[in-house]
Amino acid sequence: MTRLLTVAALLLSSLAFADEPVLVVTSIETFADFARSVGGDKVQVESLSHGYQDPHFVEAKPNLMLVLNRADLLIRVGLDLEIGWLPPLVLGSRNDKLHAGQPGDLDASTLIEPLDLPLTKVDRAQGDIHPMGNPHYWLPPVNAVRIARGIADRLGQLRPADKAYFDARFAAFLADLKLRAVKWDAAAKSLNGVKVVTYHKSWSYVSKWLKLDEQGYIENKPGIAPSPDHLAQLIVSMKAAGVKKIIVEDFYNRSIAEEVAAHTGATLVSAPSDVGAKSDIKTYPQLVDALLAGLTK
Amino acid sequence: MNARLFSVVLAVVTPALAWGQLDAGASEPASSLASELDLAATSATPSTTAAAAPVSPLVRAFQSMNPDLSVIVDATAGYATAASYSVAGDDPELRGGPAEHPAGITVQEAEVAFQAVVDPYFRADVFLTIPNLSGIEVEEAVVTTTSLPANLQVKAGVFRSAFGRQNGQHLHLQDFTRRPLINEAYLGVDGLRPPGVQLSWLVPTPFFLQLSGEVFSAAPPDSTEHLATFGGGKRTDLTSTLELKSFFSLSDSVSLSAGLNAAFGVTAGITAADGALQRAGARTYLEAADVYLKYKPPNVTGSYFSLAWTTEFFIRHVAATQDGEAVLHDGGLYTQLVAQLARSWFLGVREDVLGLPSSALQARVTRTSVSLTWVFSEFARLRVHGEREARPTAGDGLFGGPGTLAAYLQLEVTIGAHGAHPF
Repeated sequence: MTRLLTVAALLLSSLAFADEPVLVVTSIETFADFARSVGGDKVQVESLSHGYQDPHFVEAKPNLMLVLNRADLLIRVGLDLEIGWLPPLVLGSRNDKLHAGQPGDLDASTLIEPLDLPLTKVDRAQGDIHPMGNPHYWLPPVNAVRIARGIADRLGQLRPADKAYFDARFAAFLADLKLRAVKWDAAAKSLNGVKVVTYHKSWSYVSKWLKLDEQGYIENKPGIAPSPDHLAQLIVSMKAAGVKKIIVEDFYNRSIAEEVAAHTGATLVSAPSDVGAKSDIKTYPQLVDALLAGLTK
Repeated sequence: MNARLFSVVLAVVTPALAWGQLDAGASEPASSLASELDLAATSATPSTTAAAAPVSPLVRAFQSMNPDLSVIVDATAGYATAASYSVAGDDPELRGGPAEHPAGITVQEAEVAFQAVVDPYFRADVFLTIPNLSGIEVEEAVVTTTSLPANLQVKAGVFRSAFGRQNGQHLHLQDFTRRPLINEAYLGVDGLRPPGVQLSWLVPTPFFLQLSGEVFSAAPPDSTEHLATFGGGKRTDLTSTLELKSFFSLSDSVSLSAGLNAAFGVTAGITAADGALQRAGARTYLEAADVYLKYKPPNVTGSYFSLAWTTEFFIRHVAATQDGEAVLHDGGLYTQLVAQLARSWFLGVREDVLGLPSSALQARVTRTSVSLTWVFSEFARLRVHGEREARPTAGDGLFGGPGTLAAYLQLEVTIGAHGAHPF
C-alpha cells in the first residue's frame, strides 16, 4: 500500500511538473521573442534588458536576481557582451540551474558562426573589443533560425514530453520567416554594395547578410569616445568614398553622428537592433522589417 | 532497416553539407534567403553537442583553469595644509613635505585580484592589496557557495562585511579619493573586513530583500588613538552583524536601495589624554541605515545625465565598564551626490559629519569634499578631489571651526579581467 501511494505521489508530481511552463529568462528581448515563438504556451518568458537599452551596459539591478532566481533556462548572447552585468546577477540569484554548462544555461553564441575573431593578440589599446568574436549576431535571419532551432532543442531537452510541440512551433517559425524572405531578399538586393559608416562596430553580421560596404566607424575604438582627429579624417574619407548612410543603434546618443552627417551630407539611419527598441517592434519579423525600412529609405 | 540507415546517414551528412555550402557560398552569388533559412534550420544544433557546433577558423577561446587575474593601480598626488583627523587604510598617505603640510606622490593602492569558480559548489575571490606601498594585505580571500538550497548563500574567509553600503566596496568603486569619515571611525582603519562567516538569505518576496548575518574574529586595532568599535576583549569575543538590504526598481530610470544594519562586539578602548585606556572591554553596539537613490535613464539618447544620492548614518552605543559610568552614544553620517554631466565627466559632492551626536569618546569632525572625475574608458580615470576638514568646538556650529584644506589628483587604471560588481 505504501509503495502504491509512493508511485501515485510520484506520478502526480510528474504530471504537475509537466503542466508547469518552463520559466525562460533571456538577456535581450529578441531572444525572448524567439523563446515565445518556439515555446508557445509551454513557456513563460522574461527579458532582463529592454530593446531600447545598450546591451553592453545594463545596470545589474538586484530585482533582476529575483527574475533569475526562478528561471529554468537562461538564454544569453555570450561572447562577453553581458560580462559587465550578468555574472553578478547569476551569482546573486542562487540558482545553480543557470551555471555555465548546465542545461539551464544556453549561450546562444555557440549556435552561430562568430565574425570579427581577432587574428592576433588583442589589447585594450584597441578599445573595448570582444576577443571571442563580435557579439551583435542575432539580426540576420539565418542566425535567427539557428538560435530559434537551438532554443527549441534546449526546451525539448528540458521537457522531453513536449519536444514534438517545440519542434512543430519551430517549424511554424521557420515557415513564417521563409514567407517573409521574398520581401527581405528584395530589400537586401537594393542594399547590395551600399557604402555605410556605423557608430559602433556592431553591424558586421548585418553587413555580411545585406552585403553592405562598411567604410568606417564613428567609434574607431569600440566603447571609447571618438577623438576630433578621427572624426575629421572620417569626414574626409566619407566624402571621398561617397558614403551616404550612417547607421546608429537607437540607444546611442546621436549628437556626434548628427555632426558627421551634417558635414558629409550622409543620411542618419537610427536603426533598431533589438525587439522592443521601439514600442511597435514587438517581434523579430517586425524588427527586421523596421531595420530594412530604415536602411532602404 | 534501410530507411533507418538512410536517416542516420542523412543526419550525419546534412549538417556537414549545410556548413560546406554556406562557406562555399561566400564567393558565389547569394542563394535566396528562404533556402538559406532551410539550411540553417537543419544545421543548427544545441550547444551541448560540442562536436556538432559550428567550426570557426580559430579556436574560440583559450580554455584555462587559471583564475581571472586583474590589477588595479591608484597613483595619487596630494597636498594638505595640515594633517587629516584620520587616514583610512586605502586613503592616500602623503609622506613628503614637512609634517605640518603633508604632500607627496604615492601609489594609494595596488590591488591584485584572482577570481574563479572552484567547482560546482563554490567560487573563490582573492583580493590582495598593497596600500601606500606599505606591505601586502589580504583585503579579501573569500569562498562563496553557489549551490545551496532555499535561496541561501554562505561566504567564508576574510571579506568585506555587508554592513552598510560603502564598507562592502573596494577603493575603485568609490566616487571620491578618500572614504567617508564614519567608515574608518566606526568600522576600523580598513573597514570591517576581519576573518569570518556570512550566511545570507534571498527572501522570496515580490521585491528584492536580502537578510544576512555575519560572525567575525576582529583583531585588536594597531592604535587606540581613536576608539575602535570592535576588536577588543578576549579572542572568543566575536563581532556579529545583521543586515537587511532591499531594492526597488521604481521605474526604468529610478532605483532605490535601502538597508538596515546592526553590529555587536567589544571595543579595545581609547587612550585618554592622561594615557589611561578608557572603556577597554566594553560591549559596543553599532546601528546603521543606508539609502541609495539613483536616476539613470535606460539609454543615452536624450543625454548622458545621471544622478546618484547616497547617505549612511551610523550610531554607536558603548556600554559602561565600571559602576557609575554612563552608556555613551555617538554617531555620524555622510551624504553624497554624484552627477554624470557628460559621457566622460562626473561631479561629486559629499558632506561628512562625525560625532553626530558627539560623545566623550568621539568629537565632532566635519569634512566637505568635491570630486571631478574624467573617465578615459571603462578601464582608466583621472580624478581631482578637494576637501575642507574642520573640528568644530562648542559655539562653532555644525560646520564651523578652523579648517584644513587638501587636494588630490588620482589616476586609476585596471588591467586584466576584473569581475563585474553588483549594483
